[in-house]
Amino acid sequence: MLLARIDGFATATLAHPSLRGQKIVLCTPVDEHGRDAGSPIAAVDPMGAGRHAKVFITTDGSWTQGTVHDDTSPIRNQVIGIIDSL
Amino acid sequence: MKPGRVIGTVTLSHAAPQFRGARWLVVSPMGPAELTGKNPGLSQQSTPVVYDKMGAGTGEAILYVEGAEATQPFDHPMPIDAISVAIMDQHYYAPPEAGA
Repeated sequence: MLLARIDGFATATLAHPSLRGQKIVLCTPVDEHGRDAGSPIAAVDPMGAGRHAKVFITTDGSWTQGTVHDDTSPIRNQVIGIIDSL
Repeated sequence: MKPGRVIGTVTLSHAAPQFRGARWLVVSPMGPAELTGKNPGLSQQSTPVVYDKMGAGTGEAILYVEGAEATQPFDHPMPIDAISVAIMDQHYYAPPEAGA
């Protein structure tokens, strides 16, 4: 589980089929004070988090395989919550 | 998933039989400076070799996955731990300005 800030997005035509129709966000991991804490990562975002929103990301691939309905999906990172306060 | 820039390929003359037909990319992970375009060159991070079946070319920006999930697309055991999952057409990355 990671805390991160939504800093952008990516589009891809050529991608694993399980990414079809998924919004892909680029986010920066942050620490509990909101400071940057690592290199940017990409995640699928079924929640529709807004720009610079703080979010909660799971890196559990088997959970994400369930939500994209594809057992062969290699995707790990998924936004699973938008943080109100921390 | 992590963003990265394809900077080359690897070919093998002898390899495990599971690797027949495999393509391997040398990838430079993209940090903030690379994603915003401030640094058009390579990042300082070490360069993973990534299994590829999408046909990503040198110079293209991709998303790749590291870890056990990289073997998920295969129905047989595969000794890899990084795979490309998307070729980025467009990306936008704008962290808040310092102090904002």
